[in-house]
Amino acid sequence: MARETKGPRIGKELHKMQAEPLLPIEKKLIAWSLIIGVALLAMLVWTGTASIPIGR
Amino acid sequence: MAQQSLAREVDAAVPSQGWSEDWLSVAAGLLIFALALALLAGADLLGWATAPRTWLDIARAVRPSSATYAQVEGPVTLIATFTFALFVMTIGAALLRAHVVRFIVSFTVVFWLAYLCWVLGNYAYIAVTTPAEMQRLGLGWSLRLTGESGYLIALVVGLLIANFLPGFAAWLNEAVRPELYIKIAIVVLGGTLGVKAAEQLGLASSIMLRGFAAIIEAYLIYWAVVYFIARKWFGFSREWAAPLASGISICGVSAAIATAGAIRARPMVAVMVSSLVVLFAMVELLILPFAARIFFGDEPMVAAAWMGLAVKTDGAAVASGAITEALIYADAASQGIKYDKGWIVGTTTTLKIFIDIFIGVWSFLLAYIWTRHIEPRRPGDELRAGEIWERFPKFVLGFTATFLIVLLIGFNASPPLLKILNASMDQANVFRQLFFLLTFITIGLMSDVRALWQEGIGKLAAVYVVSLFGFVIWVGLFISWVFFHGLKPPISG
Repeated sequence: MARETKGPRIGKELHKMQAEPLLPIEKKLIAWSLIIGVALLAMLVWTGTASIPIGR
Repeated sequence: MAQQSLAREVDAAVPSQGWSEDWLSVAAGLLIFALALALLAGADLLGWATAPRTWLDIARAVRPSSATYAQVEGPVTLIATFTFALFVMTIGAALLRAHVVRFIVSFTVVFWLAYLCWVLGNYAYIAVTTPAEMQRLGLGWSLRLTGESGYLIALVVGLLIANFLPGFAAWLNEAVRPELYIKIAIVVLGGTLGVKAAEQLGLASSIMLRGFAAIIEAYLIYWAVVYFIARKWFGFSREWAAPLASGISICGVSAAIATAGAIRARPMVAVMVSSLVVLFAMVELLILPFAARIFFGDEPMVAAAWMGLAVKTDGAAVASGAITEALIYADAASQGIKYDKGWIVGTTTTLKIFIDIFIGVWSFLLAYIWTRHIEPRRPGDELRAGEIWERFPKFVLGFTATFLIVLLIGFNASPPLLKILNASMDQANVFRQLFFLLTFITIGLMSDVRALWQEGIGKLAAVYVVSLFGFVIWVGLFISWVFFHGLKPPISG
Protein backbone atom coordinates (compact mmCIF):
# COMPACT_ATOMS: atom_id res chain seq x y z
CA MET A 1 0.00 0.00 0.00
CA ALA A 2 2.68 2.46 1.00
CA ARG A 3 4.51 1.59 -2.21
CA GLU A 4 1.42 2.47 -4.18
CA THR A 5 1.19 5.98 -2.74
CA LYS A 6 4.82 6.61 -3.66
CA GLY A 7 3.98 6.04 -7.31
CA PRO A 8 2.53 8.72 -9.56
CA ARG A 9 1.62 11.91 -7.75
CA ILE A 10 -2.05 12.56 -7.17
CA GLY A 11 -1.91 15.73 -9.26
CA LYS A 12 -0.87 13.66 -12.27
CA GLU A 13 -3.54 11.08 -11.49
CA LEU A 14 -6.21 13.76 -11.42
CA HIS A 15 -4.83 15.32 -14.60
CA LYS A 16 -5.10 11.98 -16.39
CA MET A 17 -8.70 11.53 -15.26
CA GLN A 18 -11.08 10.92 -18.16
CA ALA A 19 -14.30 12.95 -18.42
CA GLU A 20 -17.23 10.83 -17.30
CA PRO A 21 -20.64 12.39 -17.94
CA LEU A 22 -23.30 11.85 -15.27
CA LEU A 23 -25.23 8.69 -16.06
CA PRO A 24 -29.02 8.60 -15.65
CA ILE A 25 -28.62 6.28 -12.64
CA GLU A 26 -26.34 8.79 -10.93
CA LYS A 27 -28.84 11.58 -11.59
CA LYS A 28 -31.57 9.40 -10.13
CA LEU A 29 -29.45 8.64 -7.05
CA ILE A 30 -28.79 12.34 -6.44
CA ALA A 31 -32.36 13.44 -7.08
CA TRP A 32 -34.05 10.72 -5.03
CA SER A 33 -31.63 11.14 -2.15
CA LEU A 34 -32.45 14.84 -1.95
CA ILE A 35 -36.20 14.36 -2.36
CA ILE A 36 -36.40 11.62 0.27
CA GLY A 37 -34.02 13.48 2.58
CA VAL A 38 -35.93 16.76 2.52
CA ALA A 39 -39.27 14.93 2.84
CA LEU A 40 -38.08 12.91 5.85
CA LEU A 41 -36.67 15.98 7.58
CA ALA A 42 -39.92 17.84 6.98
CA MET A 43 -41.81 14.87 8.37
CA LEU A 44 -39.63 14.78 11.48
CA VAL A 45 -40.32 18.46 12.09
CA TRP A 46 -44.00 18.07 11.30
CA THR A 47 -44.49 15.07 13.61
CA GLY A 48 -43.01 17.08 16.41
CA THR A 49 -39.63 15.45 16.90
CA ALA A 50 -38.21 18.93 17.08
CA SER A 51 -40.53 19.86 19.91
CA ILE A 52 -40.56 16.73 22.04
CA PRO A 53 -40.56 17.93 25.67
CA ILE A 54 -37.25 17.71 27.44
CA GLY A 55 -38.48 15.91 30.53
CA ARG A 56 -35.95 17.04 33.13
CA MET B 1 3.59 9.87 7.18
CA ALA B 2 -0.13 10.57 7.01
CA GLN B 3 -0.39 8.33 3.97
CA GLN B 4 1.45 5.51 5.75
CA SER B 5 -0.90 5.60 8.72
CA LEU B 6 -3.97 5.88 6.52
CA ALA B 7 -2.76 3.17 4.17
CA ARG B 8 -2.58 0.96 7.27
CA GLU B 9 -6.18 1.86 8.06
CA VAL B 10 -7.29 0.97 4.55
CA ASP B 11 -5.54 -2.38 4.97
CA ALA B 12 -7.19 -2.83 8.35
CA ALA B 13 -10.60 -2.19 6.80
CA VAL B 14 -10.20 -5.19 4.53
CA PRO B 15 -11.84 -8.16 6.27
CA SER B 16 -9.21 -10.66 7.40
CA GLN B 17 -8.77 -13.48 9.92
CA GLY B 18 -6.83 -11.34 12.43
CA TRP B 19 -8.07 -8.68 14.85
CA SER B 20 -9.26 -5.39 13.44
CA GLU B 21 -8.85 -2.04 15.18
CA ASP B 22 -12.63 -2.02 15.54
CA TRP B 23 -12.79 -5.24 17.58
CA LEU B 24 -9.68 -4.26 19.51
CA SER B 25 -11.34 -1.00 20.55
CA VAL B 26 -14.34 -2.99 21.81
CA ALA B 27 -12.11 -5.34 23.84
CA ALA B 28 -9.93 -2.57 25.32
CA GLY B 29 -12.92 -0.34 26.06
CA LEU B 30 -14.85 -3.16 27.74
CA LEU B 31 -11.80 -4.11 29.83
CA ILE B 32 -11.51 -0.57 31.21
CA PHE B 33 -15.29 -0.44 31.69
CA ALA B 34 -15.38 -3.78 33.56
CA LEU B 35 -12.49 -2.80 35.85
CA ALA B 36 -14.25 0.47 36.69
CA LEU B 37 -17.61 -1.25 37.22
CA ALA B 38 -16.01 -3.56 39.82
CA LEU B 39 -16.43 -0.64 42.21
CA LEU B 40 -20.08 -1.69 42.51
CA ALA B 41 -18.83 -4.90 44.12
CA GLY B 42 -16.55 -2.93 46.44
CA ALA B 43 -13.34 -3.53 44.44
CA ASP B 44 -11.56 -0.27 43.62
CA LEU B 45 -9.47 -1.54 40.69
CA LEU B 46 -8.92 1.69 38.75
CA GLY B 47 -8.81 4.32 41.48
CA TRP B 48 -5.03 4.63 41.14
CA ALA B 49 -5.34 6.10 37.64
CA THR B 50 -4.72 9.79 37.26
CA ALA B 51 -5.71 12.68 35.05
CA PRO B 52 -4.03 16.04 35.72
CA ARG B 53 -5.81 18.58 37.89
CA THR B 54 -5.57 22.35 37.91
CA TRP B 55 -2.19 23.27 39.40
CA LEU B 56 0.06 26.10 40.43
CA ASP B 57 2.60 23.76 42.02
CA ILE B 58 3.44 21.13 39.42
CA ALA B 59 4.15 18.59 42.15
CA ARG B 60 0.41 18.58 42.86
CA ALA B 61 -0.68 18.26 39.23
CA VAL B 62 -1.31 14.53 39.37
CA ARG B 63 -3.15 12.66 42.10
CA PRO B 64 -5.07 9.36 42.18
CA SER B 65 -8.71 9.62 41.11
CA SER B 66 -9.97 7.67 44.15
CA ALA B 67 -9.64 8.38 47.87
CA THR B 68 -8.71 4.70 48.37
CA TYR B 69 -5.31 5.48 46.85
CA ALA B 70 -4.92 8.95 48.38
CA GLN B 71 -1.62 7.94 50.03
CA VAL B 72 -0.02 7.00 46.72
CA GLU B 73 2.45 9.62 45.43
CA GLY B 74 1.63 11.48 42.21
CA PRO B 75 4.61 10.15 40.19
CA VAL B 76 3.75 6.57 41.21
CA THR B 77 0.14 6.90 40.09
CA LEU B 78 1.30 8.52 36.85
CA ILE B 79 3.71 5.66 36.12
CA ALA B 80 0.95 3.16 36.98
CA THR B 81 -1.40 4.90 34.52
CA PHE B 82 1.24 4.80 31.80
CA THR B 83 2.13 1.16 32.51
CA PHE B 84 -1.50 0.09 32.33
CA ALA B 85 -2.10 1.98 29.07
CA LEU B 86 1.12 0.60 27.59
CA PHE B 87 0.26 -2.95 28.68
CA VAL B 88 -3.23 -2.85 27.14
CA MET B 89 -2.09 -1.18 23.95
CA THR B 90 0.91 -3.48 23.52
CA ILE B 91 -1.35 -6.53 23.68
CA GLY B 92 -3.52 -4.71 21.15
CA ALA B 93 -0.53 -4.03 18.90
CA ALA B 94 0.39 -7.72 19.03
CA LEU B 95 -3.18 -8.71 18.12
CA LEU B 96 -3.08 -6.25 15.22
CA ARG B 97 0.20 -7.87 14.16
CA ALA B 98 2.02 -4.56 14.43
CA HIS B 99 5.77 -4.39 15.10
CA VAL B 100 5.53 -4.71 18.89
CA VAL B 101 8.94 -3.34 19.90
CA ARG B 102 8.56 -0.35 17.59
CA PHE B 103 5.05 0.19 18.96
CA ILE B 104 6.24 0.14 22.59
CA VAL B 105 8.93 2.72 21.88
CA SER B 106 6.72 5.02 19.81
CA PHE B 107 3.71 4.70 22.13
CA THR B 108 5.93 5.61 25.09
CA VAL B 109 7.10 8.78 23.35
CA VAL B 110 3.60 9.71 22.17
CA PHE B 111 2.11 9.06 25.63
CA TRP B 112 4.59 11.23 27.53
CA LEU B 113 4.50 14.02 24.98
CA ALA B 114 0.72 14.03 25.12
CA TYR B 115 0.59 13.83 28.90
CA LEU B 116 2.98 16.74 29.21
CA CYS B 117 0.63 18.81 27.02
CA TRP B 118 -2.28 17.74 29.19
CA VAL B 119 -0.49 18.81 32.39
CA LEU B 120 0.43 22.12 30.76
CA GLY B 121 -3.20 22.69 29.75
CA ASN B 122 -4.20 22.34 33.40
CA TYR B 123 -1.89 25.13 34.57
CA ALA B 124 -4.10 27.39 36.65
CA TYR B 125 -3.42 30.52 34.61
CA ILE B 126 -4.66 28.65 31.53
CA ALA B 127 -7.40 26.45 32.94
CA VAL B 128 -9.26 28.21 35.77
CA THR B 129 -12.72 29.37 34.71
CA THR B 130 -14.67 30.73 37.66
CA PRO B 131 -14.08 33.89 39.71
CA ALA B 132 -14.46 31.81 42.89
CA GLU B 133 -11.66 29.48 41.88
CA MET B 134 -9.46 32.38 40.81
CA GLN B 135 -9.98 33.93 44.23
CA ARG B 136 -9.23 30.62 45.97
CA LEU B 137 -5.95 30.25 44.07
CA GLY B 138 -5.07 33.95 44.33
CA LEU B 139 -5.01 34.52 40.57
CA GLY B 140 -5.40 37.98 39.04
CA TRP B 141 -6.21 36.58 35.60
CA SER B 142 -6.71 33.36 33.68
CA LEU B 143 -7.15 32.43 30.02
CA ARG B 144 -10.27 30.47 31.12
CA LEU B 145 -9.60 27.75 28.54
CA THR B 146 -10.27 24.88 31.01
CA GLY B 147 -8.09 21.80 31.42
CA GLU B 148 -9.24 20.57 28.02
CA SER B 149 -6.90 23.13 26.47
CA GLY B 150 -4.33 20.38 26.99
CA TYR B 151 -6.01 18.56 24.09
CA LEU B 152 -5.47 21.55 21.81
CA ILE B 153 -1.87 21.92 22.93
CA ALA B 154 -1.38 18.22 22.09
CA LEU B 155 -2.95 18.77 18.66
CA VAL B 156 -0.66 21.72 17.94
CA VAL B 157 2.43 19.81 19.15
CA GLY B 158 1.48 16.88 16.89
CA LEU B 159 0.96 19.26 14.00
CA LEU B 160 4.32 20.97 14.54
CA ILE B 161 6.12 17.61 14.65
CA ALA B 162 4.36 16.37 11.49
CA ASN B 163 5.26 19.48 9.52
CA PHE B 164 8.66 20.49 10.87
CA LEU B 165 10.08 17.14 12.02
CA PRO B 166 8.58 14.73 9.48
CA GLY B 167 11.35 12.18 10.11
CA PHE B 168 10.47 12.06 13.81
CA ALA B 169 6.76 11.83 12.95
CA ALA B 170 7.47 8.89 10.64
CA TRP B 171 9.47 7.24 13.43
CA LEU B 172 6.40 7.48 15.69
CA ASN B 173 4.17 6.02 12.98
CA GLU B 174 3.46 2.68 14.71
CA ALA B 175 1.64 4.41 17.58
CA VAL B 176 -0.17 6.96 15.40
CA ARG B 177 -3.62 5.37 15.46
CA PRO B 178 -6.20 8.11 16.17
CA GLU B 179 -9.16 6.01 14.99
CA LEU B 180 -8.25 3.22 17.43
CA TYR B 181 -7.80 5.61 20.35
CA ILE B 182 -11.08 7.45 19.74
CA LYS B 183 -13.02 4.21 19.36
CA ILE B 184 -11.72 2.96 22.72
CA ALA B 185 -12.70 6.32 24.23
CA ILE B 186 -16.18 6.08 22.71
CA VAL B 187 -16.74 2.57 24.11
CA VAL B 188 -15.79 3.86 27.57
CA LEU B 189 -17.91 6.98 27.05
CA GLY B 190 -20.96 4.76 26.57
CA GLY B 191 -20.93 4.00 30.31
CA THR B 192 -20.69 7.68 31.26
CA LEU B 193 -23.60 8.51 28.99
CA GLY B 194 -25.53 5.56 30.45
CA VAL B 195 -25.35 7.14 33.92
CA LYS B 196 -26.51 10.45 32.53
CA ALA B 197 -29.36 8.81 30.66
CA ALA B 198 -30.40 6.98 33.84
CA GLU B 199 -30.47 10.29 35.71
CA GLN B 200 -32.13 12.29 32.91
CA LEU B 201 -34.01 9.78 30.79
CA GLY B 202 -36.31 12.36 29.19
CA LEU B 203 -33.49 14.55 27.93
CA ALA B 204 -31.42 11.57 26.76
CA SER B 205 -34.28 10.02 24.80
CA SER B 206 -35.20 13.31 23.13
CA ILE B 207 -31.56 13.72 22.00
CA MET B 208 -31.63 10.22 20.55
CA LEU B 209 -34.86 10.88 18.66
CA ARG B 210 -33.30 13.98 17.18
CA GLY B 211 -30.38 11.80 16.09
CA PHE B 212 -32.50 10.54 13.19
CA ALA B 213 -32.26 13.98 11.61
CA ALA B 214 -28.47 13.57 11.59
CA ILE B 215 -28.68 10.29 9.68
CA ILE B 216 -31.01 11.76 7.05
CA GLU B 217 -28.87 14.83 6.66
CA ALA B 218 -25.54 13.02 6.29
CA TYR B 219 -26.60 10.28 3.89
CA LEU B 220 -29.40 11.76 1.85
CA ILE B 221 -28.61 15.46 1.68
CA TYR B 222 -24.88 15.99 2.20
CA TRP B 223 -23.83 12.98 0.11
CA ALA B 224 -26.02 13.81 -2.87
CA VAL B 225 -24.93 17.46 -3.01
CA VAL B 226 -21.21 16.76 -2.55
CA TYR B 227 -21.28 13.98 -5.14
CA PHE B 228 -23.00 16.34 -7.58
CA ILE B 229 -20.47 19.13 -6.93
CA ALA B 230 -17.52 16.77 -7.37
CA ARG B 231 -18.88 15.21 -10.57
CA LYS B 232 -20.53 18.18 -12.28
CA TRP B 233 -18.55 21.23 -11.18
CA PHE B 234 -15.09 19.71 -10.71
CA GLY B 235 -15.28 16.93 -13.31
CA PHE B 236 -14.16 14.12 -10.97
CA SER B 237 -14.56 10.53 -12.11
CA ARG B 238 -16.94 8.26 -10.19
CA GLU B 239 -13.97 6.48 -8.60
CA TRP B 240 -12.89 9.71 -6.89
CA ALA B 241 -16.26 11.41 -6.44
CA ALA B 242 -18.02 8.67 -4.44
CA PRO B 243 -15.34 8.20 -1.70
CA LEU B 244 -14.88 11.97 -1.60
CA ALA B 245 -18.63 12.50 -1.11
CA SER B 246 -18.70 9.90 1.66
CA GLY B 247 -15.62 11.35 3.33
CA ILE B 248 -17.01 14.86 3.38
CA SER B 249 -20.61 13.92 4.14
CA ILE B 250 -20.77 10.90 6.38
CA CYS B 251 -18.00 10.03 8.70
CA GLY B 252 -14.66 10.89 7.25
CA VAL B 253 -12.07 8.17 7.10
CA SER B 254 -14.29 5.13 7.78
CA ALA B 255 -16.88 6.16 5.21
CA ALA B 256 -14.32 7.03 2.54
CA ILE B 257 -12.64 3.65 3.02
CA ALA B 258 -15.96 1.74 3.03
CA THR B 259 -17.21 3.53 -0.08
CA ALA B 260 -13.95 3.02 -1.95
CA GLY B 261 -14.20 -0.68 -1.15
CA ALA B 262 -17.84 -0.84 -2.19
CA ILE B 263 -17.26 0.68 -5.62
CA ARG B 264 -13.93 -1.12 -6.07
CA ALA B 265 -11.89 2.10 -6.22
CA ARG B 266 -8.12 1.75 -6.05
CA PRO B 267 -6.73 1.84 -2.47
CA MET B 268 -4.80 5.00 -3.35
CA VAL B 269 -8.12 6.84 -3.73
CA ALA B 270 -9.22 5.92 -0.20
CA VAL B 271 -5.81 6.87 1.21
CA MET B 272 -5.74 10.29 -0.44
CA VAL B 273 -9.35 11.14 0.39
CA SER B 274 -8.78 10.03 3.99
CA SER B 275 -5.66 12.20 4.23
CA LEU B 276 -7.70 15.15 3.10
CA VAL B 277 -10.49 14.36 5.55
CA VAL B 278 -8.06 14.26 8.48
CA LEU B 279 -6.46 17.52 7.41
CA PHE B 280 -9.74 19.40 7.15
CA ALA B 281 -11.12 17.79 10.30
CA MET B 282 -8.10 19.20 12.09
CA VAL B 283 -8.83 22.67 10.67
CA GLU B 284 -12.48 22.39 11.75
CA LEU B 285 -11.40 21.24 15.19
CA LEU B 286 -9.32 24.38 15.62
CA ILE B 287 -12.06 26.75 14.40
CA LEU B 288 -15.60 25.46 15.00
CA PRO B 289 -15.57 24.99 18.81
CA PHE B 290 -14.47 28.59 19.21
CA ALA B 291 -17.12 29.76 16.74
CA ALA B 292 -19.69 27.73 18.70
CA ARG B 293 -18.53 29.40 21.92
CA ILE B 294 -19.00 32.86 20.42
CA PHE B 295 -22.32 32.32 18.65
CA PHE B 296 -24.05 29.51 20.57
CA GLY B 297 -22.98 29.96 24.17
CA ASP B 298 -26.67 30.26 25.04
CA GLU B 299 -27.62 27.18 23.00
CA PRO B 300 -25.19 24.50 24.17
CA MET B 301 -27.05 21.61 22.54
CA VAL B 302 -27.20 23.37 19.15
CA ALA B 303 -23.41 23.74 19.43
CA ALA B 304 -23.10 20.07 20.38
CA ALA B 305 -25.19 18.87 17.44
CA TRP B 306 -23.34 21.20 15.09
CA MET B 307 -20.02 19.59 16.01
CA GLY B 308 -21.49 16.14 15.35
CA LEU B 309 -22.88 17.15 11.96
CA ALA B 310 -20.12 19.40 10.65
CA VAL B 311 -16.82 17.94 11.88
CA LYS B 312 -15.73 14.82 10.01
CA THR B 313 -14.06 11.68 11.39
CA ASP B 314 -15.10 10.27 14.75
CA GLY B 315 -11.94 11.45 16.45
CA ALA B 316 -12.15 15.08 15.44
CA ALA B 317 -15.93 15.26 15.91
CA VAL B 318 -15.96 13.85 19.44
CA ALA B 319 -12.86 15.87 20.26
CA SER B 320 -14.54 19.05 19.02
CA GLY B 321 -17.54 18.20 21.22
CA ALA B 322 -15.19 17.98 24.21
CA ILE B 323 -13.57 21.33 23.43
CA THR B 324 -16.95 22.97 22.80
CA GLU B 325 -18.23 21.67 26.12
CA ALA B 326 -15.16 22.95 27.94
CA LEU B 327 -15.43 26.42 26.38
CA ILE B 328 -19.19 26.86 26.76
CA TYR B 329 -19.27 25.40 30.27
CA ALA B 330 -16.41 27.71 31.26
CA ASP B 331 -18.32 30.78 30.07
CA ALA B 332 -21.47 29.56 31.81
CA ALA B 333 -19.52 28.91 35.02
CA SER B 334 -18.16 32.44 35.00
CA GLN B 335 -21.81 33.62 34.98
CA GLY B 336 -22.69 31.32 37.86
CA ILE B 337 -24.36 28.62 35.72
CA LYS B 338 -22.95 25.17 36.33
CA TYR B 339 -24.12 22.66 33.73
CA ASP B 340 -23.94 18.94 34.40
CA LYS B 341 -20.79 17.62 32.70
CA GLY B 342 -20.81 15.45 29.62
CA TRP B 343 -24.00 16.52 27.85
CA ILE B 344 -22.39 18.36 24.97
CA VAL B 345 -19.76 15.73 24.23
CA GLY B 346 -22.44 13.08 24.79
CA THR B 347 -24.77 14.67 22.22
CA THR B 348 -21.98 15.08 19.67
CA THR B 349 -20.97 11.44 20.15
CA THR B 350 -24.55 10.16 19.94
CA LEU B 351 -25.12 11.91 16.62
CA LYS B 352 -21.81 10.66 15.25
CA ILE B 353 -22.60 7.10 16.27
CA PHE B 354 -26.08 7.29 14.75
CA ILE B 355 -24.43 8.34 11.48
CA ASP B 356 -21.74 5.63 11.74
CA ILE B 357 -24.27 2.84 12.13
CA PHE B 358 -25.47 3.16 8.56
CA ILE B 359 -22.07 3.20 6.83
CA GLY B 360 -22.43 -0.50 6.00
CA VAL B 361 -25.95 -0.10 4.62
CA TRP B 362 -24.97 2.92 2.51
CA SER B 363 -21.89 1.14 1.16
CA PHE B 364 -24.06 -1.83 0.27
CA LEU B 365 -26.51 0.42 -1.56
CA LEU B 366 -23.69 2.05 -3.53
CA ALA B 367 -22.17 -1.35 -4.29
CA TYR B 368 -25.57 -2.51 -5.57
CA ILE B 369 -25.95 0.53 -7.86
CA TRP B 370 -22.38 0.25 -9.12
CA THR B 371 -22.56 -3.49 -9.82
CA ARG B 372 -26.01 -3.31 -11.41
CA HIS B 373 -25.75 -0.11 -13.41
CA ILE B 374 -22.21 1.19 -13.65
CA GLU B 375 -19.45 -1.46 -13.42
CA PRO B 376 -20.80 -5.03 -13.27
CA ARG B 377 -18.54 -7.32 -11.23
CA ARG B 378 -16.93 -10.42 -12.62
CA PRO B 379 -18.63 -13.82 -12.11
CA GLY B 380 -17.76 -15.16 -8.65
CA ASP B 381 -17.32 -11.63 -7.27
CA GLU B 382 -21.00 -10.88 -6.79
CA LEU B 383 -22.35 -8.59 -4.12
CA ARG B 384 -23.13 -10.34 -0.79
CA ALA B 385 -25.46 -9.13 1.97
CA GLY B 386 -22.67 -10.08 4.40
CA GLU B 387 -20.77 -7.01 3.20
CA ILE B 388 -23.12 -4.87 5.34
CA TRP B 389 -21.86 -6.63 8.46
CA GLU B 390 -18.26 -6.58 7.29
CA ARG B 391 -18.40 -2.80 6.93
CA PHE B 392 -20.41 -2.22 10.13
CA PRO B 393 -18.35 -0.20 12.64
CA LYS B 394 -18.03 -2.77 15.45
CA PHE B 395 -17.03 -0.29 18.13
CA VAL B 396 -20.67 0.85 18.06
CA LEU B 397 -21.50 -2.52 19.66
CA GLY B 398 -19.10 -1.77 22.51
CA PHE B 399 -20.59 1.68 22.98
CA THR B 400 -24.13 0.28 22.99
CA ALA B 401 -23.17 -2.45 25.48
CA THR B 402 -21.58 -0.09 28.02
CA PHE B 403 -24.42 2.40 27.60
CA LEU B 404 -27.18 -0.18 28.13
CA ILE B 405 -25.45 -2.00 31.02
CA VAL B 406 -25.05 1.22 32.99
CA LEU B 407 -28.50 2.48 32.02
CA LEU B 408 -30.10 -0.76 33.25
CA ILE B 409 -28.13 -0.72 36.51
CA GLY B 410 -28.76 2.97 37.07
CA PHE B 411 -32.41 3.17 36.03
CA ASN B 412 -33.88 1.82 39.26
CA ALA B 413 -30.82 2.24 41.46
CA SER B 414 -31.06 3.73 44.93
CA PRO B 415 -29.30 7.10 45.37
CA PRO B 416 -26.28 5.52 47.17
CA LEU B 417 -25.87 2.93 44.41
CA LEU B 418 -26.19 5.63 41.76
CA LYS B 419 -23.45 7.55 43.53
CA ILE B 420 -21.11 4.54 43.39
CA LEU B 421 -22.04 3.99 39.75
CA ASN B 422 -21.13 7.60 39.03
CA ALA B 423 -17.83 7.20 40.86
CA SER B 424 -17.00 4.05 38.89
CA MET B 425 -17.66 5.78 35.58
CA ASP B 426 -15.55 8.74 36.76
CA GLN B 427 -12.67 6.29 37.12
CA ALA B 428 -13.24 4.92 33.62
CA ASN B 429 -13.41 8.53 32.48
CA VAL B 430 -9.72 9.02 33.32
CA PHE B 431 -8.89 6.60 30.53
CA ARG B 432 -11.57 8.04 28.25
CA GLN B 433 -9.83 11.42 28.60
CA LEU B 434 -6.44 9.81 28.12
CA PHE B 435 -7.50 8.19 24.85
CA PHE B 436 -9.05 11.50 23.76
CA LEU B 437 -5.68 13.08 24.39
CA LEU B 438 -3.89 10.44 22.33
CA THR B 439 -6.42 11.05 19.55
CA PHE B 440 -5.61 14.76 19.49
CA ILE B 441 -1.85 14.39 19.33
CA THR B 442 -2.00 11.64 16.71
CA ILE B 443 -4.43 13.58 14.50
CA GLY B 444 -1.81 16.33 14.57
CA LEU B 445 0.95 13.84 13.81
CA MET B 446 -0.95 12.64 10.73
CA SER B 447 -1.50 16.11 9.30
CA ASP B 448 1.55 16.70 7.14
CA VAL B 449 0.20 19.61 5.11
CA ARG B 450 3.34 20.06 3.01
CA ALA B 451 3.51 16.42 1.94
CA LEU B 452 -0.14 16.43 0.92
CA TRP B 453 0.31 19.62 -1.06
CA GLN B 454 3.31 18.12 -2.85
CA GLU B 455 1.08 15.18 -3.81
CA GLY B 456 -0.98 17.68 -5.80
CA ILE B 457 -4.23 17.46 -3.91
CA GLY B 458 -5.22 21.04 -4.73
CA LYS B 459 -8.22 20.05 -6.83
CA LEU B 460 -9.43 17.53 -4.24
CA ALA B 461 -9.00 20.15 -1.55
CA ALA B 462 -11.02 22.62 -3.64
CA VAL B 463 -14.03 20.27 -3.64
CA TYR B 464 -13.61 19.87 0.09
CA VAL B 465 -13.42 23.63 0.72
CA VAL B 466 -16.45 24.38 -1.48
CA SER B 467 -18.53 21.57 0.04
CA LEU B 468 -17.50 22.00 3.65
CA PHE B 469 -17.43 25.76 4.00
CA GLY B 470 -20.06 26.50 1.38
CA PHE B 471 -22.60 23.90 2.36
CA VAL B 472 -21.94 21.23 5.01
CA ILE B 473 -21.20 23.59 7.91
CA TRP B 474 -24.23 25.82 7.23
CA VAL B 475 -26.76 23.08 6.56
CA GLY B 476 -25.45 21.29 9.67
CA LEU B 477 -25.98 24.47 11.64
CA PHE B 478 -29.49 24.94 10.27
CA ILE B 479 -30.52 21.36 11.11
CA SER B 480 -28.91 21.61 14.54
CA TRP B 481 -30.86 24.78 15.22
CA VAL B 482 -34.18 23.36 14.02
CA PHE B 483 -33.90 20.19 16.09
CA PHE B 484 -31.88 21.24 19.14
CA HIS B 485 -32.62 24.86 19.97
CA GLY B 486 -34.16 25.29 23.37
CA LEU B 487 -32.62 22.10 24.75
CA LYS B 488 -30.27 22.76 27.66
CA PRO B 489 -28.01 20.47 29.66
CA PRO B 490 -29.26 19.89 33.22
CA ILE B 491 -27.93 22.21 35.89
CA SER B 492 -25.42 20.45 38.13
CA GLY B 493 -26.15 19.95 41.83
